[in-house]
Amino acid sequence: MPLDRDAASADALLTDLYLDALLAGVVLDLTTVRDVTEGRGLDPALVRAAERLRHDLVRVHPSFRFEERLALQLAEAAAGLQVPLAVGGNGRLVPFPIPSAREGPIPDGADAARLFDLDPTIRRDRTRPLLIGGALTSAAISIAGAALVAWRLGRPGRAAPMARAARAVREARLAAATALPTIDPVTVRRRPH
Amino acid sequence: MARPVFGRVSVPGRASSAPAERPARVAHLDRDRPLVEAAQRDPLAFDALYRRYLAQVYSYAFYELGDHHEAEDATERTFVAALTNLGRFQERARPADGDGASTFRVWLFQIARNAVANQRRGRRRHPQVPIEAAALVADPLDLEGGASARDEAAAAWLAIGRLPADRRRALVLRFVEEMSTAEIAGILGRSEGAVRVLIHRALRSVAQDLGHER
Repeated sequence: MPLDRDAASADALLTDLYLDALLAGVVLDLTTVRDVTEGRGLDPALVRAAERLRHDLVRVHPSFRFEERLALQLAEAAAGLQVPLAVGGNGRLVPFPIPSAREGPIPDGADAARLFDLDPTIRRDRTRPLLIGGALTSAAISIAGAALVAWRLGRPGRAAPMARAARAVREARLAAATALPTIDPVTVRRRPH
Repeated sequence: MARPVFGRVSVPGRASSAPAERPARVAHLDRDRPLVEAAQRDPLAFDALYRRYLAQVYSYAFYELGDHHEAEDATERTFVAALTNLGRFQERARPADGDGASTFRVWLFQIARNAVANQRRGRRRHPQVPIEAAALVADPLDLEGGASARDEAAAAWLAIGRLPADRRRALVLRFVEEMSTAEIAGILGRSEGAVRVLIHRALRSVAQDLGHER
């Protein structure tokens, strides 16, 4: 049995080599194959059958109408699959200006505007990439929003009128409370009507 | 026929000067890699892969199902599933996969195989008899040779139509799609040796059927 199996494997390998050559369009000298395989040759019936199948089993193409309809359907599906910009799709990298420590503190005014010059040849050493349109931008905006709220809360002088009014009422109440004399709860009596 | 997935990159004349312990650089040459990566970044770029493999997938489905409408349905399901799951596709090529083979193609045909199997389970139409299918693909302009060519094609189609499903599938992938044994093994989930034996036996059956017995 093992010998039969080996012989079948050898025949199958030989057929496979022949098919490789046939499908590659190589004109194969079968006598060479026989020599290489030490006398074992390809069955001529197999060779004829392979050539016949090579000729008759043609690739079937779909209709142009079907091709374009499916292409359109796939394009629509692909558009639906595109990752939204806010979560990291289609981002582009632009340099984000970072002042280096050796150059001192961030200059203000016109000098600060110079930092945002995106020309990489000028400030390559002071920039790091920032993904615009993607997750980093989204996160940066969130952080910026939180920082803005914190900054505004930390600057009472520039609060909204309603906030100023509320704060004024609260401060007035606190002042009134501190101005009242301390009352011993034991001595407090309800007035008779 | 397509080939190298892996190939050694060597510069002529520099091999002798290179240090002996330095291993040869191995470059991966999967032909679909750029297109797959582009489509994974932007699903709209999937169109290039679709155009490249539409005819192959459709043809495979047609040989399996024997009906144009069913082949269209299976093709549609295959490509929609491939597009949807492309993010999960990982290239796992091996040197044994052969020259120019594409692991994407193997993956795509695995999907097609499942789509065809599902289509077959739910089929309502009767498949076209091979002689009708052969008539559809015979050259309509060759009026003189048309009849005999059609007869020969029909005989070949009938012969493979009579094969067991796994043998027929292997022959179609080998002859129509011109796949390597390694690729067919990947699609059918068998070893390369098993696929070689499968094709050899299938070919022998076809030879007997076509009247070419020893």
